[in-house]
Amino acid sequence: MDTKLSRRGFIKASAATAALASAGTVGFNEWSNQYVKAGANAEIKEIPSTCNACSSKCGMIGHVKNGRLWKLTGHPDHPYSKGKLCARGHGYATVVYSQDRLTQPLKRVGEKKFEPITWEQAYKEIAEKLNKIIKEHGPQSVALTEDPRASGKFYSPRFINALGSSNYYTHHVVCSNSRDSGFLHTVGVSSTSADISNAKYIMFIGRSYGDGIRPSSVQALAAAKDNGAKIVIVDPRLNNTGNLATEWLAIRPGTDLALVLAMSHVLIKENLHDMAFIKNYTVGFEDYAKELKKYTPEWAEKITGISADSITRIAIDMGKAKPKALIEQSWRGAFGCNYENSTETGRSVAMFNALLGNYQQKGGSIFGGKPNLGKLNESKHPNPKEPEAPKAGKKEFPLAYHSHGVATIVAKEALEGKMKAAIYYHSNASLGYGNPKVMKEALSKMDLVVAIDVQMSETAQLAHYVLPEVTYIERDEVIEGLSGKIPGIALRQQMVDKVHPETKPIHEIYTELAKVCGVGQYFNFSLDELNEAMLAPTGITYKQLREKGTIMFPNEEISLGKMKELKTPSGKVEFYSETYKEAGFKPIVEWIEPKVSPADDSFRLITGKQAIHSHTQTANIPILMQITKDYDLERIWINPVRAKALGIKDGDMVELKSSEATSKIRVKLTERIHPEAIFVPSHYGITSKDLKTGQGIGFGYMEHVPFDFEKWSGAGNIHEVIVKVRKVNG
Amino acid sequence: MARYGMVIDTRKCVGCYACRVSCQMQNELPVEETYIKFHEKETGVFPNVKNEIIPVQCQHCEDAPCVSVCPTKATYTTKEGIVLVDADKCIGCKYCMVACHYGARTQDHNTGVVEKCRFCAELVAEGKQPACVSTCISNARIFGDLDDPNSEVSKTIVKMNAQPLRPDLGKAKIYYVR
Repeated sequence: MDTKLSRRGFIKASAATAALASAGTVGFNEWSNQYVKAGANAEIKEIPSTCNACSSKCGMIGHVKNGRLWKLTGHPDHPYSKGKLCARGHGYATVVYSQDRLTQPLKRVGEKKFEPITWEQAYKEIAEKLNKIIKEHGPQSVALTEDPRASGKFYSPRFINALGSSNYYTHHVVCSNSRDSGFLHTVGVSSTSADISNAKYIMFIGRSYGDGIRPSSVQALAAAKDNGAKIVIVDPRLNNTGNLATEWLAIRPGTDLALVLAMSHVLIKENLHDMAFIKNYTVGFEDYAKELKKYTPEWAEKITGISADSITRIAIDMGKAKPKALIEQSWRGAFGCNYENSTETGRSVAMFNALLGNYQQKGGSIFGGKPNLGKLNESKHPNPKEPEAPKAGKKEFPLAYHSHGVATIVAKEALEGKMKAAIYYHSNASLGYGNPKVMKEALSKMDLVVAIDVQMSETAQLAHYVLPEVTYIERDEVIEGLSGKIPGIALRQQMVDKVHPETKPIHEIYTELAKVCGVGQYFNFSLDELNEAMLAPTGITYKQLREKGTIMFPNEEISLGKMKELKTPSGKVEFYSETYKEAGFKPIVEWIEPKVSPADDSFRLITGKQAIHSHTQTANIPILMQITKDYDLERIWINPVRAKALGIKDGDMVELKSSEATSKIRVKLTERIHPEAIFVPSHYGITSKDLKTGQGIGFGYMEHVPFDFEKWSGAGNIHEVIVKVRKVNG
Repeated sequence: MARYGMVIDTRKCVGCYACRVSCQMQNELPVEETYIKFHEKETGVFPNVKNEIIPVQCQHCEDAPCVSVCPTKATYTTKEGIVLVDADKCIGCKYCMVACHYGARTQDHNTGVVEKCRFCAELVAEGKQPACVSTCISNARIFGDLDDPNSEVSKTIVKMNAQPLRPDLGKAKIYYVR
């Protein structure tokens, strides 16, 4: 009886409730009064912070009961959460109590064999090796890759630059590199945002608000739907945002570019483009319009499988709804993910939005404002010099967005013997960034691989040293600047005491390691000093920010209706790009075939997010993985017509074979998928035996992805995969 | 006296499971135990397909069969219409699980108590929303007083002609827009 009473908060009240209940049915108010009284013993603190379950870093409030994280709610003021949190946001927080946490620094002593060492030994040996490598091969033989979060964004580039290397990379190589490049050279920024709630016509291409979730985006879309907006989803699968859509265009995978070119053709042909906007704010329109003449809806119908009538109708309707019409800017695997033509698709989308004149308009595409944050005093806290040698990959991919870089170049250069050391912070590159076989080989060739993580990821397994970080529930971080219609700031802060005493927050790890490496002069400040310096121009005190967690600056709201000068060479939207020309590419956007195509007996393997998982970091979270188990969410999607021809029934076990790998997996038969494609959710296939919850569930789609770079942006061509399927015994 | 109920707009539900996980954390449930279950209904043929996700939990029936069959009166209905379980009285006989039309009850394997959605009664007592409602990313869930014609929940039921999932099985207090 005691265990029954003690385990749950609300059951604690039951003794009091029982006294009332025994007299007959109790009233709710009496019941709840008794509950409140009985539950009053628990000390509950509410601490505002930010989420770490995906790259959005939504504002959240941690409810800590008797010193233990109990539950979370969305921060009402944060522009991404607006009071809500998604499932992964709630569930990933339980990582703090994971049975599989890394608890002490580890040194590899054999194949997947590690022994615990002290921090001092780890720092000393890593520093010695780093300095030796730099001395022998130069600083450009060292690289750092991360999935950036608030502290990492500040400390990681600073650390690698302090070592004299410019090789800083992010996970965007398998995320938005294509979009970033296409947008950058067209509108001067790697991404715009969208005024969804005010839009009248919204098209999504390969982007699903209901799967790759930012709660405020879903709220805005639901509001747009309530207001009667037309919402078109272009995707080879009917994704989970389908419920909010008015129309699904089941496009042939890899052909989004043809659709956008044809819609652009229609806009110009029907004279529905915004000529005033084009005259004032764009360059190269005449050349572009001339090129577009050949991209008729009839031409696109043959390529995309979308009828010419639908293409014409939608383009005309969007033209009529302009400027409150847009193609949303997308993010992960922009525009149907990473095909050989995805950068050009990104570019064509940015141009289509220019035809609609929707930039900086209500209901259109938005260039957000940034908060004005301070910096450390450089005379006291010197900045490491920007290394002169260009980032590895810059030469091969001059169009790539510099801040993100092409992370997989590290593996390529390691295989070529050029890259000698790699640090991975908050990044499972070996499983998530392209072909794991190649990544494993590349990492094994390097003299030093360091992984900083909270759990024994596949990348950590391949490292020489593993440094255990505290989770985001147990640390303060650098202030995060929020850009948008209204700029603001958010602070991730510690909610509970450190669970494992030998773990450290990243700012401490970098600061201490830098000292031992001999570059400690660039880290001669505390996190609090840094945050105070950042806050200085805002007039907000650190104490205020700690109390509120998220603070917005409504006085700095950007004014819509006014176009600004863009950061392109011309200062305008570039229908014609000299930058492209100089880099050896066509200055005018054109149709590019996908790199590979399925035959009658094969499929294209496509992937995407599920609402409950993020990269591979959530696969080991029991409360989230249980949902996968309850609803068989790791299965591949296959169209019933194709399945029937192959003698495959729903739930059957199949073998899926590509040029790179063979996997066994059960199937989900669904009409929600294009017959030429197989969909596999992107977060499974954990192989690390130290991740007991995630290991062995589903398969990692990256195993099937050839190690390849898209020519324009360097993005991984993660959708250029052909597979064959046959039924096997389970 | 308020009479609490809910609207779930399945046309807005994107099947994100946020309600399930926030409910589990609010109630400190083991990972295998959930109060909210999801049913998917796919209709049509490619490419003319519709997919509906229907979250189902205790419907807080007016004439709840789980209440009438409970041999120990562990399950009871409050004056506000919330169906609750007195953990101390529950003997784990599962009669209520059999009686429930919606499969909404679940037994905690650690305690033996058969539990279910409680409309987060203690949050409601503080004037807050149930956890599933406050976290719903598309505002597909609305909670409030069914007896107040001006409450958002009542107005939505009227405006959207929301209906109980199975009106033939008795009067439920969760209404669905489909």
